[in-house]
Amino acid sequence: MNENVNENVNDCDVIVVGGGPAGSCAAIVAARAGLSVVLLERGPFPGSKNMYGGVVYPRILDELIPNWWEEAPIQRWVTRRSTMLLTDTQALTVDFRTEAWGKAPYNGATAYRPDFDHWLASHAEAAGAQLLTSTTVTGLLRDDKGVVVGVTTDRPDGDLRARVVIACDGVNSFLAKQAGLYTHTDVKHFTLGVKETLALPKEVIDERFGVRGREGVDIEIIGCTGGVNGGGFVYTNLDTVAVGVVLKIAKLAGQALRPEQIIATLKAHPAIAPLIEGGEVKEYSAHVIPEAGLAMMPKMISDGMLVAGDAAALCLAAGIWLEGVNFAMASGMYAGEAAVEAVRAGDVSAQGLRGYQRRLSDTFVLQDHRKLRRAPELVLSDRVQHLYPQMVANVVERMFRIDNPQPKPGLRRILKQERKRAGIRRRDLIRDGLTGFRSYG
Amino acid sequence: MTLGNFLETMETAEFRVHPEAHIVVDGAICADCTTRECVVACPANLFVPTSAGGIVFNYEQCFECGTCYLVCTQAGAITWNYPAGGHGVVFHRT
Amino acid sequence: MSSANRTTEVVVCLKWVFQADEPSDARFAGMSPADHAALELALQWATHIGGQVTAITVGPAQADAVLREALACGATRAVRIDTANGVSSADVASAIASVARHAAWVWCGDYSIDNGSGSVPGYLAAALQASQALGVLGVTFESGSIVATRRVDGGRREVLDVQAPAVISVEGATARLRRASLTAMRAAASAPIEVVAPSIVMRTSEHIAHTYRPRARALASPTGAEALDRVRSLTAAGTSSAAHEVETLEPADAAARIVQTLREWGYL
Repeated sequence: MNENVNENVNDCDVIVVGGGPAGSCAAIVAARAGLSVVLLERGPFPGSKNMYGGVVYPRILDELIPNWWEEAPIQRWVTRRSTMLLTDTQALTVDFRTEAWGKAPYNGATAYRPDFDHWLASHAEAAGAQLLTSTTVTGLLRDDKGVVVGVTTDRPDGDLRARVVIACDGVNSFLAKQAGLYTHTDVKHFTLGVKETLALPKEVIDERFGVRGREGVDIEIIGCTGGVNGGGFVYTNLDTVAVGVVLKIAKLAGQALRPEQIIATLKAHPAIAPLIEGGEVKEYSAHVIPEAGLAMMPKMISDGMLVAGDAAALCLAAGIWLEGVNFAMASGMYAGEAAVEAVRAGDVSAQGLRGYQRRLSDTFVLQDHRKLRRAPELVLSDRVQHLYPQMVANVVERMFRIDNPQPKPGLRRILKQERKRAGIRRRDLIRDGLTGFRSYG
Repeated sequence: MTLGNFLETMETAEFRVHPEAHIVVDGAICADCTTRECVVACPANLFVPTSAGGIVFNYEQCFECGTCYLVCTQAGAITWNYPAGGHGVVFHRT
Repeated sequence: MSSANRTTEVVVCLKWVFQADEPSDARFAGMSPADHAALELALQWATHIGGQVTAITVGPAQADAVLREALACGATRAVRIDTANGVSSADVASAIASVARHAAWVWCGDYSIDNGSGSVPGYLAAALQASQALGVLGVTFESGSIVATRRVDGGRREVLDVQAPAVISVEGATARLRRASLTAMRAAASAPIEVVAPSIVMRTSEHIAHTYRPRARALASPTGAEALDRVRSLTAAGTSSAAHEVETLEPADAAARIVQTLREWGYL
């Protein structure tokens, strides 16, 4: 690349596109290293465009913001984690709670993204990054060799040049697409998350969910989305309860039920309705999720550019683990570190930026994704979605049903009968079991 | 959920509407579309079939999620951009 | 602001306000639409007459946000009169007047979205001894003067020929604020803002304002055999419009007469 020409016209060292968790962490790292950083956000403030399924696991922030839990704007600490399996009339819940997650250094927390992301971006500003809001990036600036040298924005006189562009522009990442880092976009890799935030008095939430003070509950649900593959969730904020569903977009299109109707069905389920009764909708929101993990990930490095967070499909949607913000924060941090390295070494080519790939590969960011590469497809498969919940619920119902004077049937017999009744082939069950074991074991 | 209820639900989200639409739908292409995935999938229910056989898109209450262009099977039917900076949906508690 | 270029000195008054549903959250605070329009027209008018725009706000440090927006859009000077929020309109106007006393043209939004009463521009015109055009719907720029159209009762319009010095308050729909360039926005982020202490002791609006409603008065029970008659006598419905008298007075006397009548009716 033509270092000298760029040197003269650069407006800053690093442009970070998007003030979400990935962008803010990238900006914090780069600015703290002394680089001049511009953080561009299209909303009126960071977090104003962002929503999610409710739990953030900020352990990765230990490196960046020591004792983050003393200042982060969280709603409740998740001390109770439930996985719920629903059929139309049944519910099976695995419920875990621990005191440990309710005190420092904590584990997961519920938080409003407009609060959390705004807070994280304030750390980027404190580190010296310049945050420019209400500014939409419209494309990449490239030199005649195709090297990314900046971005165009929707403001007059809106071109901005830098040595490295870090694209944290979210799930739709038009920048990664423009840079040719995505080979294709396939609708089957995406899900749609929709959510209602329901207002309820804190005491009512505490009582219904069995928590006190800042303790909170996260319930992940499978089998509640009708004919559409996906899942549901219910979690507690301080004085609101969020209830929502995640839906496979490709399946949704062929259905008669719209997203809000699927939420309504979930809200009316006998296992859910008592939890949220009387809650008034404070906000309805929607967002697309890059669900497919490794199968959809783009190249994350090109000459002069890195991609992080949802833009790089770094979202772990693996059934019992549903994470995104932590992957975004980590990948943003590593992108920031790699950009610092490259700028200092005077080589911002893909080769000079390869430290990003190494960091992703050496840590949970890609290792979790590799280990769980088959999980997203398994979790969203028709069998897991539509056949297994009914079978499992029926098995448990028969186990606990007392049919006196008949003696208790053996579990194996029930299992066999219910598997046949559900129309599940034995070899499919074994195969799915093995896939599950390899992923989660 | 009735349509009236859903309109009330949509009222809970804040939208800073720009005078120009950020997403443009080509009704001529939609007129030939029989599957109309967007009508079911849009979480804000903004794609409305018209009696004339086309589809009208109301951009004002758009969540900017991207579902419509992802799900659309008709090339060129949806021209999708983010709204001008500072405009569009503004979340408060999500 | 020297008095030499007094005819080209343009001021825009901007208020930093909270959104109604987020009454204490700075993320959702900013200018009212009417202030956006005032800023745009101030900038256009300054260009028209070859002047420059000074943006003034009265508020806490967070209110700098509206001044930076004005600087990014083309204002050349920004002054914040440092007070807490919720100061009375008269005091806000006095404080602004002490900073803008040489201004030829003062632009304001007509109402702020936080239940603004639209009274600052009027007080300001009085304090500056300037003419006023309040609640303006549209303007035409002439050379050295402005033709302003304002809304009056009954759907009628009043057209004013506005000469300097003048205070003009505009409705939100009169103009759409330009988009700041990226360069200007970056520069505005670190541009100096003059912070001045208010020239007077600022009183809060709670201290002065009270809800306008008639004082309770003892009324005799309505008479009449039928309930309908009693309702009619209570509400004066069906009679000719309320008693009125026409007087022709000099402006000062007319104002005094209006105040006296309002007092009699219990509104003051």
